[in-house]
Amino acid sequence: MTSAAAENTRATETEDGAERKIVAFFCRECAYAAADAAGNARVSLPTTIRSVLVPCTGRVSPLHLLKALADGADGVYVAGCLEGQCHYREGNLHALDRIEFARALLESVGVEPERVQMFTMSAADSPKFVAAARKMHETISSLPQLERR
Amino acid sequence: MPLTARGEAIFERLPNAAPRTSTGSIGCQIVRHEELCIGCGRCASACPTGATSKGDMFDPMQLYSAPPESRRGALGAALRTIARHQPSGSIAVPDRVAAFRTIVFDAARCIGCGACARACPTGAAEALPVPAAEIASAGMNG
Repeated sequence: MTSAAAENTRATETEDGAERKIVAFFCRECAYAAADAAGNARVSLPTTIRSVLVPCTGRVSPLHLLKALADGADGVYVAGCLEGQCHYREGNLHALDRIEFARALLESVGVEPERVQMFTMSAADSPKFVAAARKMHETISSLPQLERR
Repeated sequence: MPLTARGEAIFERLPNAAPRTSTGSIGCQIVRHEELCIGCGRCASACPTGATSKGDMFDPMQLYSAPPESRRGALGAALRTIARHQPSGSIAVPDRVAAFRTIVFDAARCIGCGACARACPTGAAEALPVPAAEIASAGMNG
């Protein structure tokens, strides 16, 4: 077993043994390109992550984030361009504010705000992309499963 | 200008009613139905005195009471599924979030023109005519 694979198995361990589900929204211009580069370099990603391609993170609304949580995800994250480097000028800044709003909503009903997060990276920065995915995976694995009614 | 729902109802009852639009009347009483509000902000844009404005806070309870087919209603349904307890009061809204703001209505600055009610797409702002007794006491019925 390679060291990268060992790192993954250790990280998937949760308190109740069940694997978490994470929905990730990737911006086409930056994060998806970084994901592509990571894939080409054959870096393994946590298996909990389900990726969704969006043209720009500015498309992601609080409804996307909360609907994902309501329909089975334990965590949601958005990965987009670095601040000031959005290909549509301000999309990632809109996303940042919407995520802040979604986190405030979660906090007001007693759900951990860490379940929703935003990461920014450039298209060439696949190590940062992988680090973000692993960090999110570890954060969500350390939290209990999200209860639904 | 299109009539409010209330204006339409009055015209339904009038025989030979010709005009279907109004130029607005001064002195209506504005009633807000927050559960119908979708946060579009058209009332705030239409208000000539700044009595109606978009606030900096949002009360998550508005998501629960919104019509289920609206965007607020959908968000409310998702929030209700994962909520551990009732929302604990209003939350601050970041600058770039536009639709999820509680509309602030300042009755002291309202002149009762009814512009908000005509601009409202959902009937959340309603302009009621001034009661006849009030008109008489103000000496406006001469």
